Amino acid sequence: MSRDVVLRISGVSKRFGGIWALKNVNLDVYRGELLVLLGPSGSGKSTLLRIIAGLEVATEGSIYMEGEDITNLPPYKRDTSMVFQHLALFPHMTVYENVAYGLKIRGLPRDEIDRRVDEALELVRIRELGDRRVTKLSGGQQQRVAIARSLVLKPKVLLLDEPLGALDLKLRKELHIELKRLHEEVGNTWIFVTHDQEEALTLADRIGVMNQGRLIQVGDKWDVYEYPKTRFVAEFIGETNLFEVVVEEVLGDRAHGSWNGVRLAFRDGGFRRGEKIFLSVRPENLHISSSPPSGGDVNSLYGEVEVEVFRGSYVIYHIRLLNGELIHVTVLSKDANYDPGDKVYVYWTVDKAVALRE
Amino acid sequence: MFRGEDRKRFMTLISNLPTATYVFLLFYIPLGILILISFTVPSKFRVIWEFTLENHIRVFTDPRFYTPILNTFLIVTAATLALIAIGFPIAYYLARVRPDLGLKIIFFLIIPVEVNYLIRIYAWRVILGENGLINSFLISLGLIDKPLTILFYSWVSVVIVLIHEWLPYVVIPFYVNLVGIPRDLYEAAMDLGANKLQVFRSITLPLVKPAILTVMFIVFIPSLGEFAIPALVGGQSGVMIGVLIDRYLTDFRLAMGAALSFFLLIVTLILSLIMIKIFGYESLYQR
Repeated sequence: MSRDVVLRISGVSKRFGGIWALKNVNLDVYRGELLVLLGPSGSGKSTLLRIIAGLEVATEGSIYMEGEDITNLPPYKRDTSMVFQHLALFPHMTVYENVAYGLKIRGLPRDEIDRRVDEALELVRIRELGDRRVTKLSGGQQQRVAIARSLVLKPKVLLLDEPLGALDLKLRKELHIELKRLHEEVGNTWIFVTHDQEEALTLADRIGVMNQGRLIQVGDKWDVYEYPKTRFVAEFIGETNLFEVVVEEVLGDRAHGSWNGVRLAFRDGGFRRGEKIFLSVRPENLHISSSPPSGGDVNSLYGEVEVEVFRGSYVIYHIRLLNGELIHVTVLSKDANYDPGDKVYVYWTVDKAVALRE
Repeated sequence: MFRGEDRKRFMTLISNLPTATYVFLLFYIPLGILILISFTVPSKFRVIWEFTLENHIRVFTDPRFYTPILNTFLIVTAATLALIAIGFPIAYYLARVRPDLGLKIIFFLIIPVEVNYLIRIYAWRVILGENGLINSFLISLGLIDKPLTILFYSWVSVVIVLIHEWLPYVVIPFYVNLVGIPRDLYEAAMDLGANKLQVFRSITLPLVKPAILTVMFIVFIPSLGEFAIPALVGGQSGVMIGVLIDRYLTDFRLAMGAALSFFLLIVTLILSLIMIKIFGYESLYQR
């Protein structure tokens, strides 16, 4: 499927004083997608968003919107709109005036402004709040005003900079679903920045993972989760077990290595003998049984249940292996029939582990 | 004795009593006396307790009062406008630079205020006077032959000294106000399509209304009663109501002085109400 690139970020770097906040970021954003930029604080994700919005100027590199170079265009001439982290609603205006702001600046006729503001308020389901002062609204309502204020302009790209950061968990989860619905309904391109991997997985079509100013991996959220490219990505998104393995032999597409005295099989990634790699296995891809697993392309280890963490619908077992290492296994509660002290086999299908160089 | 709500109310009353007494004794009673005197028959050295409206009528009918009253409003308006025009950009700059630098500069702005008020006015006499700093400088440069007289003993000098007098009181409220406006409001406005001028008009200006109101209340209104500056540097064209009041009072013609004071008081009250009406009560405590 060939996809229509609406925004192209080409070799963008940004320096603040002596510090590089962004290092050579390349990214194509496709029309209509919801791309989440995920990374810890200080990873450069907000800086990238601000460069796209025109609020910062890239030190190096270019930004193209539908093929047109917009690198040096001021924010008010760009067809992007940003929902700010602290929302930045205009405190001296009503909800209606906030949403109408961009349309008024553009000098649209009164009746068109009214119609479009009404539409936007309807879209975020706060039509009845039009006359209220924004300072008198709840956090969730302010959130909706901020989104309506940007959406009303029908920007080609909507930028959202951790807009849910200040809200409590329950409200955030509600708004995640709401945002998904909104994105489907509006159909334009969204770039959403967050440091919360759960938020990223819930909202995204594609995820771009950032760390220390670099865009490390971009892809479909399933792929990023299942096939992380680096140790950082594997650890940052979801839970994982990481094994430090020394490669011993490579046969075809299979490699074998030693993890603290235990021999493990894994998929080859062009490794050399003696090379040190990391094997990442998601807890839900690990299985437990009290008898040795029969046949198949599996790695099987033996150990003792040390701790059982009950999480309602699932249980996390901490299992101490013979070589002294600890690994975490997630089991659905209905299948969790083990107790601390039980001797168990832990195994996983070779293809369910990802071998990582860095 | 008292319980619950009653006790709370009683304690509130008790704790406010000293302040209330103080204000009543030292402010409202003297003010009451002043107002009473303004309604007495004019005389010198003593008060004749006989009711009359003569003084108040004279405020509006005696042509000798027209110029000072008009002057007062023109001078104070000119000074306030100039103060905002000078003070706002300074505050705007200070609010944008590094916070520590901004505060340091404000500290230097405040230092002159520590110098006695009269000494500062006399200093201006030295600077603006016929043989003052500015005139001698301009003459030595050959730009003028004779000393400029407009600078001294005129309304211009009153405006200049008023500006110097009040500048910190204009910069500080604007600074505090501007620092309190989150930067992302400007960014959001730009992001929504406003250029710098539009951002200024639609975001900055409405949000500094509290500072403008503050300046009106702590600069414009008190300056209406100014007498030392016009008396010392004002000359004929710089006479203000305060100078008249001062003359009547030092001349012991208390009734007329009180009537002029009463006039100023009423004008002040009306102006305050108008400003609150324009800006709204909430702009005093809410941004």
